[in-house]
Amino acid sequence: MGSVTGNFQSETPLHPAASAFLTEAFDRGWASPDKRHAESQKVAILLNEAKESLAGHLGLRREQLEILSDPAIGYHLGISGLLREGSRLLYPAISRSEVFAIAEGVPAEKLETDSRGVAQSPVGEFEDVLAWQSANAETGTIAPTPDTFAGRIFVDATASGALLPLPNRWSTALWSSRAWQGPAGVSIFAIGDRAIWRNALPHFDQRISSSDFSVPLTIASAIALDAFTADYKERRSEIRALNHEIRDFLHNEIGDVDIAGGIDTTLPHLLSFSFLYIDAEILMNELDRRGFAVDSGSACNSANMEPSHVLAAMGLLTHGNIRIALHNEVNRNEVIEFLKTLQVLIAEMRA
Amino acid sequence: MELDCRGMRCPLPIIKLATALKESEEVILLSDDPATLPDLSAWARMTGNFYEVVGTNKYFVKRL
Repeated sequence: MGSVTGNFQSETPLHPAASAFLTEAFDRGWASPDKRHAESQKVAILLNEAKESLAGHLGLRREQLEILSDPAIGYHLGISGLLREGSRLLYPAISRSEVFAIAEGVPAEKLETDSRGVAQSPVGEFEDVLAWQSANAETGTIAPTPDTFAGRIFVDATASGALLPLPNRWSTALWSSRAWQGPAGVSIFAIGDRAIWRNALPHFDQRISSSDFSVPLTIASAIALDAFTADYKERRSEIRALNHEIRDFLHNEIGDVDIAGGIDTTLPHLLSFSFLYIDAEILMNELDRRGFAVDSGSACNSANMEPSHVLAAMGLLTHGNIRIALHNEVNRNEVIEFLKTLQVLIAEMRA
Repeated sequence: MELDCRGMRCPLPIIKLATALKESEEVILLSDDPATLPDLSAWARMTGNFYEVVGTNKYFVKRL
């Protein structure tokens, strides 16, 4: 296990509980669960246990749940699978780029978003599909539940993981195992009981999103989710207090800073903030040299030199942006050291 | 006063704008960086100043 000291970026090492089991998972879970050999039957049992455990944490029944490898496929299955002749796709301006890509090819309407990351509340028609994001991955802002919407709802839970419940009415939903320190390349896709869903990929049988996935990594994901949930329950109030402390420090000790969302309307472990007159790329490099890994939504950090569409849609300052994740392992000393480093760097860069 | 920041990348246009506003109460900013519009809007909100789009890549800014 590598040290996570100074790691405030969104990615984390695999949860120690999952990585401890990884070799065994590969030893025991190599066979295909669909075959009739004794080894395959054992794997089928292991997979069912993993699915049962994942489903329990995510508020699903095991039969509703499918394992996918790439989350990008989940966006397509979840959204395109609900669209019909005459459907419109409604999506908040802070949606993931995968949603924007799907919206390019279908009748669609982008929902403007306010500074709290809240999209105008759509009513829609029965045939319409709403791509609803329970929380935003960049800013951590939590969306109000789409209770007034008349159509079908796709839930993007890739950022919130198991931390937020599903809305009362949903048709399809997508999680990424990364949200709970699980392995990359494992996503969970769910189809609601009464959902009018069809498989939008070329296929033979109607209901099953048949795709190849790794059973050992699925087991690792289930173990990670179990352990992450326990850790989070224990650390939640502490992480929220750290979030509070960071916000206070940024406002009072550094200043000229734009913080995304309030503490009560964002996930407590995610924070995005922008410093006026600061070049994010230089700031990130300086932080990296001092052992702190962070992410940024500023233009200088993106491939196309465009600023983050999320920051722009929320009317937040797009330059000088960094975003941090407070992982379960983080301790207060690391955070204080990070803030003091930030304070010195910002003062130097603004001078 | 006219401030030509065309060809510059964020955050340079906003930094130069803030410097220019120390000398002049009103500035016409020319900037073709895609981040300038969202940034001007956030900057005006944070600093309590005024801006207005007056043309393509052209902004009127007033210190308040």
